[in-house]
Amino acid sequence: MAVQILEISGDFACFTRPEMKVERVSYDVITPSAARAAFEAIFWKPGIRWHITRIEVLKPIRWISVRRNEVDAVVSVDLATEVMNRGRGSLGFFVDEVDDDGKLKHRQQRAGLLLRDVSYRLHGRMELHSDEARANPVKYYAMFERRADRGQCVNQPYLGCREFAARFRRVTDLKSEAPAIEETRDLGWMLYDMDFSTVANPVPKFFRARMDKGAIDLAAAEVRG
Amino acid sequence: MILQALAEYYERADGLAPAGWEYKRIPFYVEIAQDGTFLQLIDRRSGANPADVHLTLVPKAEIRSGTRAFEHPNTLWDHYGFVLGVSKSGADRDKSAAKEQLRYFTSRVNRLCEAAAESIELRAIQAFYERGEYKRVTSDPLWRDCARIAGCNLTFRIAGQLDVAVHAASVRRLLSAATDNHEDKQDVKSVCLVTGEAAPATKLHYPIANVGEKPAPLCATNKASYWSFGKEKGFGFPVSAEANFRYTTALNHLLRSGSRQRMQVGDASTVFWTQKSDEFEEGFGSIFGGGDTPDHTDELHAVLEAIYSGKFDGGRGENRFFVLGLAPNAARISVRFWHAEPLRDIARRIRQWFEDIAIDRGRNEPQYLSLKRLLTSVCLTTKDRPYGDIDRMPPAIGGDVARAIFSGVVLPAALLNAALHRCRAEQAKKEAKTGRPVRHVPYARAAVIKACLNRHYRFHAHNRKEIAVSLDKSNTDVPYVLGRLFATFERMQESAAERELNRTIRDSFFGGAMATPRSVFSRLVALNQTHLRNLKRSRPGAATNFDKLLREINDKLNPKTAFPASFNLMDQGVFAIGYYHQRHDFFPKDSKVAFSQSTSALTSNIEGNRP
Repeated sequence: MAVQILEISGDFACFTRPEMKVERVSYDVITPSAARAAFEAIFWKPGIRWHITRIEVLKPIRWISVRRNEVDAVVSVDLATEVMNRGRGSLGFFVDEVDDDGKLKHRQQRAGLLLRDVSYRLHGRMELHSDEARANPVKYYAMFERRADRGQCVNQPYLGCREFAARFRRVTDLKSEAPAIEETRDLGWMLYDMDFSTVANPVPKFFRARMDKGAIDLAAAEVRG
Repeated sequence: MILQALAEYYERADGLAPAGWEYKRIPFYVEIAQDGTFLQLIDRRSGANPADVHLTLVPKAEIRSGTRAFEHPNTLWDHYGFVLGVSKSGADRDKSAAKEQLRYFTSRVNRLCEAAAESIELRAIQAFYERGEYKRVTSDPLWRDCARIAGCNLTFRIAGQLDVAVHAASVRRLLSAATDNHEDKQDVKSVCLVTGEAAPATKLHYPIANVGEKPAPLCATNKASYWSFGKEKGFGFPVSAEANFRYTTALNHLLRSGSRQRMQVGDASTVFWTQKSDEFEEGFGSIFGGGDTPDHTDELHAVLEAIYSGKFDGGRGENRFFVLGLAPNAARISVRFWHAEPLRDIARRIRQWFEDIAIDRGRNEPQYLSLKRLLTSVCLTTKDRPYGDIDRMPPAIGGDVARAIFSGVVLPAALLNAALHRCRAEQAKKEAKTGRPVRHVPYARAAVIKACLNRHYRFHAHNRKEIAVSLDKSNTDVPYVLGRLFATFERMQESAAERELNRTIRDSFFGGAMATPRSVFSRLVALNQTHLRNLKRSRPGAATNFDKLLREINDKLNPKTAFPASFNLMDQGVFAIGYYHQRHDFFPKDSKVAFSQSTSALTSNIEGNRP
């Protein structure tokens, strides 16, 4: 009951490696943090926390290289506050603005090495933290199951980046599901999640990822950070 | 995974610089006497090419950029702005920059001298500056060559010593003792994502050379829009200083010019290495350059033999093989593809690749086609390179093709499109000098088309028959048969003519026949009847043979589906191959036809096969 299984799939995915952030390179498989986000998109309350226990890869790992035009501007907090206080003003900027030398000021073309046609089976455990949640565990599990069955979600679950929307389906009978791919690989150190114990300074945690016959066991994984 | 694999490679490879040092091209040494007197410039170049310079092991270059870059001089070596105060241009901005550079460089030398006063070399260099000897360098006879090299690096050698001053024991001791204060490090505990060890993160990573025009770091977040969680620059992806040095040194070593573990596929610089040492590492490059030179071909032959004889199954096949493709993008480096597979799988895919591109060839054509030759055949032609200019290759195709080969998936549709586009564009092309028609479906292009088609069928259309290596008389696929028919029509026209023809039906109708057969073939059939009539009159023996061939081909066509209104991209490719196969069949390898074909000038001599 506490462990819920979700099958999530999509046409594209980009679980960006922290070290290749600008010219995006994806991890080979979904990160636990992205998996957690999928569960949270369907159901989350402040009293619960999702922990991913197992990830199974259902489709072969395929890549695609894409170049996209983006911008390098950041929203100015000062400007936003000023406009807010004054009640009027423009927060926009001209994307294709040209500087004195005739070069585009804000445009950045970024290449990305993304995953194609992904499908994962995620096993997540709902941890109940608040008193109310601990008193009514069945209610919370049922809420998630109902929402997942109906396809209800707060925001569309996505695979790494918001533009790669995902389809999801709750898995009830594991035995009748398709098996994971027959691949055993060492995936190196992967991002496990961000540690928000100090909210002002989130620290990344890494774990040693090993895919054994298409499955990554996170319950026994070594997490550092 | 990428950085980790590179860091592991550093551990096992030899010939790599030790921690804190790097191999650099220093074209000239400044030779000075022990009292600092300037003696001469020593030339360290080994050839006419600007890249032909002997490498010198020097302390690792400082990471510097921007207007205050002069604050970071290198240790006892740098370009002539720092070493001599010579400005790179006449502009005031550059002149003041050079002055500052010299100032910082000399103050660095002085600081080093204070720390190791007993070092003869350091004292000599200090005297060189204090006595103003540095001003005399520009009057040396070799100075003109030095000044011509942009940003020419210089370092010192003391007269009477064999090695550069930086290698002297006293200097080495000093450098290893000095703590590296130039990189800001965070003291917060963090885990290195390469090694998994607790180590402070580095702010800036060393740049990678030989990918783009200028060295650029592989991992960097330079603009504010790329930072997240409030972490700037290198702190957003914690990598320890040690891991940083290891992976950058390994990658630079693999990318160095003259490296055997590197090849260029379009704009993607590809490097490859194995996890445990294996000779396949070096032979791999020949696989895609093979066929161009005899040595390459022999090597390629050996590797393919090893693959076919199963040497890569079993233990040796477990060894992991890494391929990394890097391409420049603006002032950064992007990863085009990355593969980490056991040798077994790579060997299998290479074998598949060569089977896919195998096609009938002319007598003088090489058996194996290099990747460069294959890609050039689909490129636009220019004045200097009338048979395809690789610099004009549609972008991204090179990387996509390499990725398709290593992962064994379909080739990009853009490749097939480019190949057929060239066929259409060159259908009426003539040799500039002789005016002879140029083969518009040459060997390399036909190989590309065949590979694209067969891979597509394997993935998307399992029931469709794959294209064979040579003419397949049993193939009843409509576009294939029509291609054969077109080739036969053209041959008949050539045979019927009494003189050599300037234009055949190919010049006018090939594109139309390939794309819209219904509208074109009615005309072609009518023309063919005329040619057949002429042929019966002039060469009745040949006419009967052609008649038989025509009947055989027409038997395969079902009148209801014989001439469709249009062909899609795949079918057009099949048409081109059908044409190519049949054409080749008309000129068998052991015929008496003067079929001279050199790899660079593809002239086809259309002298018939006179019975």
